[in-house]
Amino acid sequence: MSSSALLSQIMPILIFVALLLAIIGAVRRALLWSQGQKSTIHWSGILAVPRRYLVDLHHVVARDKYMSNTHVATAGGFVLTALLVIAVYLFDIAAQILNYMLLASTMLMFIGSVFVLKRRKNPPANLSLGPWSRLPKSLLIFSSSFFFLTLPASGLLSDLVPELFSSNIAENIAGNIAGWLMAVVLIAGIIWGLGEMFFGMTWGGPMKHAFAGALHLGLHRRQTRFGGGQSTGLFAIDLAEDKLGVEKPEDFKWNQLLSFDACVECGRCEKACPAFAAGQPLNPKKLIQDMVVGMAGGSDAKFAGSPYPGIEIGTHKGGAIIPIVNGLVEADTLWSCTTCRACVQECPMMIEHVDAIVDMRRFETLEKGQTPGKGSEILENLIATDNPNGFAPASRMNWAADQNLAVLGQDVEKADVLLWIGDAAFDMRNQRTLRAMIKLLRAAKVDFAVLGEQECDSGDLARRLGDEATFQRLAKTNIALMSKYQFSTIVTADPHAFHCLKNEYRDFGGQYHVQHHSGFFADLVKKGAIKLQANKALSLTYHDPCYLGRYNGEYDAPRYLLQAMGIQIKEMERSQTIARCCGGGGGAPVTDIPGKQRIPDMRMADAKETQAEIVAVACPQCSLMLEGVVEPRPEVKDIAELMLDALVEDSTNE
Amino acid sequence: MSDIFRRDPRAEWIARNRLHPMHKPVAEGPVRGPSGLLRKNPHAVGFIGPNGIKRIDRSGASTGGSATRQSAKQTEVILPLHKVDEPDFYIVVALDLVSGRLNGHDKDVLGLAQKLANIDEAKGAVVAVAFGELKEENLDVAGVDRLIHFYTDAYQEYNPEQRCADLQVIVKELQPRHILLPDSINGGGDLGRRLAAKLGQRPACGVWKVNGDQVVCRASAGKNDITRTLPTLMLVLEECSEPVSETRHQSLIMPLNESQEINSTIEDQGNISVDPNAIPLAEAGFILSGGNGITDWANFHSTAKSLRATEGASRVAVDDGNMPRERQVGATGTWVTAQVYIAVGISGAVQHMQGIGKCDKVIAINTDESCDMVKRADLSAIGDSSEILAELVSLVEQNNNEKGADHDQ
Amino acid sequence: MTNNNLSVISLISIGEHPTSRRPRRAEQDARAVELGLKLAGERLKALYAGTIESPSIEVALRSYLGMGLAEINILNLSDPADATLALAEHLKAERPDMILTGVRAENGESSGMMPYLLAEQLGMSVITSIVEVSSIDKVTQQAEVLQALPRGQRRKLKIKLPFIASVDMAADAPRQSAYGPAMRGKLVMNQLSVQVEDTLRSKWQINEGQKRPKRLKIVKAKTAADRFKAATAKVEGGSGKIVHGSSESAKEILKMLIDEGVL
Ligand code: SF4
Ligand code: SF4
Repeated sequence: MSSSALLSQIMPILIFVALLLAIIGAVRRALLWSQGQKSTIHWSGILAVPRRYLVDLHHVVARDKYMSNTHVATAGGFVLTALLVIAVYLFDIAAQILNYMLLASTMLMFIGSVFVLKRRKNPPANLSLGPWSRLPKSLLIFSSSFFFLTLPASGLLSDLVPELFSSNIAENIAGNIAGWLMAVVLIAGIIWGLGEMFFGMTWGGPMKHAFAGALHLGLHRRQTRFGGGQSTGLFAIDLAEDKLGVEKPEDFKWNQLLSFDACVECGRCEKACPAFAAGQPLNPKKLIQDMVVGMAGGSDAKFAGSPYPGIEIGTHKGGAIIPIVNGLVEADTLWSCTTCRACVQECPMMIEHVDAIVDMRRFETLEKGQTPGKGSEILENLIATDNPNGFAPASRMNWAADQNLAVLGQDVEKADVLLWIGDAAFDMRNQRTLRAMIKLLRAAKVDFAVLGEQECDSGDLARRLGDEATFQRLAKTNIALMSKYQFSTIVTADPHAFHCLKNEYRDFGGQYHVQHHSGFFADLVKKGAIKLQANKALSLTYHDPCYLGRYNGEYDAPRYLLQAMGIQIKEMERSQTIARCCGGGGGAPVTDIPGKQRIPDMRMADAKETQAEIVAVACPQCSLMLEGVVEPRPEVKDIAELMLDALVEDSTNE
Repeated sequence: MSDIFRRDPRAEWIARNRLHPMHKPVAEGPVRGPSGLLRKNPHAVGFIGPNGIKRIDRSGASTGGSATRQSAKQTEVILPLHKVDEPDFYIVVALDLVSGRLNGHDKDVLGLAQKLANIDEAKGAVVAVAFGELKEENLDVAGVDRLIHFYTDAYQEYNPEQRCADLQVIVKELQPRHILLPDSINGGGDLGRRLAAKLGQRPACGVWKVNGDQVVCRASAGKNDITRTLPTLMLVLEECSEPVSETRHQSLIMPLNESQEINSTIEDQGNISVDPNAIPLAEAGFILSGGNGITDWANFHSTAKSLRATEGASRVAVDDGNMPRERQVGATGTWVTAQVYIAVGISGAVQHMQGIGKCDKVIAINTDESCDMVKRADLSAIGDSSEILAELVSLVEQNNNEKGADHDQ
Repeated sequence: MTNNNLSVISLISIGEHPTSRRPRRAEQDARAVELGLKLAGERLKALYAGTIESPSIEVALRSYLGMGLAEINILNLSDPADATLALAEHLKAERPDMILTGVRAENGESSGMMPYLLAEQLGMSVITSIVEVSSIDKVTQQAEVLQALPRGQRRKLKIKLPFIASVDMAADAPRQSAYGPAMRGKLVMNQLSVQVEDTLRSKWQINEGQKRPKRLKIVKAKTAADRFKAATAKVEGGSGKIVHGSSESAKEILKMLIDEGVL
């Protein structure tokens, strides 16, 4: 029996075994996911997988051109190769065209793999090592093995080989030996390749991401994220349940568990994470990998990426029915997150880190009562006074004593615009912004009113600190209050309230047309209702608030306004979708987990790099955080304040 | 310093020696017993007139000063003596006497007691009950007509049950019209409530105003006022009344049936020494707080140590890792209530100023005269903080040494 | 430190938030529960004397459950009844080693008399303003406690069991109340035999707390010179004194420190 005959006999067996093992692995993996809790299954999403992969996923990957092309070549090559290999070698379909296609696909994959390998020379810190360093080699071996296997069959070599090996006996023997050798090497390569690509895909190798990733893209918990949509509001939980929040990996929804398996350990989230950069003990990538460890059981010792800053790898263990916090993950890790969503925005696999973190925080707060730092105090205040600092609710309008504001229910019953004040009412710095806003609204002759003392905190902070109960109470109170009055739009200067009112009150029956003041004023400027001097040549940079930008996709309105004043914005390197958080979200200033630096200091350093003299902000929390940076530093001004400076008073109607 | 009672052995010797030429003027003044208690010689009252008849000058003008402190008091105005020889009723006041002296609260309670004793031209006597050490010399001008003093060793300690039993005896004997105690954490609040429970009386607590036969009490933890009729037993707040200021009183020792000793269930094991830095910031009475204007933190810590002050910090100092987070003062840290707050190198961010809003006296040490902290401060020292602190430390040490030397005399 | 055969009861009441006036977990009572939990763990019993008139009061009461209590015993007393008799009745049957409570209530008369009256009724010792129970000796029937004195000072006391202690604000802050356990914990109603009406209180007049004027320094001038001085002296308030130079500054500071009596 010749070596090639052996090859052709052994191939179907190898592939069959590999596929069989892969299927067994897939079932096992699926069983792991099924430990999770019930959640709607979006079957229709499965059909959309190719589109989601090619459009949505690559939209994210394409931010890194190199990697995007590499991935298209490698992944595309692999999918084709795999299908063709099954067709040719398992089902023995002997169409020459398939062989040619196979050669082409393996070549494509090979080229892709070379680039992967190149990337892996001196890998940046955010990439994982270990099995992930093996992957490019496996890719090369897989593609080249099948290339060489197919080469003879394709006929391109068939003329060559007999000539080479059959001219005389001695040569024949030598050729035979060489042939056997080659066959052995080829088989070894194919076993390796199949092992990594088929077996490893479902048994936990790096290729798992392809299998779990494809399913995850289809069955994603936030179907509306695909096709350019947005879905950033947190999911509500039923407060009557026996357990609130996530304690053990099995308490996650099954599709969350699936999503964790989709992680490719690309570390884009890690690169984007402000808490990680500040040296706080959080690394979103490691967190997702820890969840994978928890789901399957084991220790984090095998993790081959960067650790949580300050926490050694290999010291934590977990399992599906073992509590996560303080076994697998330290509580401080969860509480370091600012919920800035930079990780989610960057993740090519569309993994929802913030959802997972908040789910676990909910258990810490609602079941264990262990919100760290000033968290418990703040929550108690929110419960007792509807504002985080425990001020008398009756003093909510004290700041506006001189403003003559129309209060709904007292002075008027309806207005075009409901001006949402938020907790800036209690803060002297942000009262300046509010006053500026009111002057602008009056200049534009907008019919607006406020809720007065009855307004409550939006619940943003309570919810991000895991206190869903308080959030829901505040939301329901506010919704009931607003249902008494008529207005067409809510306008607010606080992106956190904006986000809650717009995206999170919906689950409790509050559907509103909400605008951030930047968007609302931009419309007014476009309509000509507000005229701005276009000659303000300020040296200025703009800081995107997370809850306005990444959460609600509003990057243009504030920039439009600044440009309308004639300002050339000196953009920071991290701006728009990749803007760095100010450190003020998600209750991070409240829980105050120590790190090596402070996030606002880092953000202010970003701003200083642009040489700007003013940092324009569009969020009360951002102004507090950035103004908290020690001077000398650029001045911090809200867009509304800048607009007021540039306002052209319309004297004709006076 | 001038109020400290010091024995004057020479004066005492003269007082004992009737043949001494100076005997008369010295012996006429009040003499103190070994515990510092006033001892009056009823025979020494008055003087012999030119016709050989004993005269008593009730105006008080001729009473000589105390033999012990003649020099210091010579220029003082001598207040008219208010005498109650046969009182119609008694008003009992149990004093706190923190470290043996009357504090403001005690004086206010005595003031109220005198007001009640003289209401509608009545002739009541204020009986002050003192437990333990009594170093106060000015009981007379504070409004004490009679004094009952328990001073055996047992009273040097915290023995509220014994004190309560003693008060019960006094109440039984004197049937006072009113019993007043300071509603304080220094013992009065506790003792008064014990007594009320024992007597089965309902006291008025947190009394801050007396209007005729109505009292106004703080209730609901300070949120409400209750107006009710004047009861027998009252626990009164500070500044419930003006202290006595225009009269002098007899402060006669009052004899009392021996109090019986009771079995105490509480045993005082003594105060435990608390490291100033172990005191929670919110409770600390004296805080030395550092900000980013500090260059020499070692100096700062040693200053805090020698001043025995609790350390605080501004947010920036904490962020920079110079101080631990739990030391942060301000709206985002701890709200403090110190009596004296020294802010070193803190310019005064809004949040910080909010956090020190309840401090009594603020001292700023800063290089920048225009900063917000200086505007708020009661005293501002402009200059290099480490120099000022070093100077302060040496002054304080000098001061301590002097005090130490004083005690040795 | 949880002691296995120690029986501890914490008396709890409904507090009132100082600014919003909403019912809440009373700060001192919560500290009493915290201390009790540290001493007796889950065997700590909690007792509430009062009614549950509104859902918000129930929420406030439940927030004690959120600290980790399995249940709260309720003596259903209609306000403003005198709770002491009913409490004493109930506690006599329980015979606890230790009863913990706040120093005073956050609403009502808040006279702080309750622990004393109970002690009188039950024949127990009473001690006020404790911050910590450092040890308990069941053999000698004695406990060692720390009592709060002003400005962070502490006094160590030995006291006979059983006793009633009121817990000071300076004690360890109460743990956070968790919503889940709070909602799931049980409120156990107890039937009552005594029902007393507070006749005295009905005659009281209760108003919003007035702001007390700060006492002014009254200058009682004895001589014409004094009167002149008093009339021309600079009014207190306004901005403070500013000094320059380190030795001058140090002297002024020292003077103020001595005047304020903090040295
Ligand atoms: S949301 Fe922001 S802070 Fe939180 S893990 Fe993601 S990147 Fe980090
Ligand atoms: S979570 Fe997403 S971004 Fe982070 S490493 Fe995994 S795949 Fe990459």
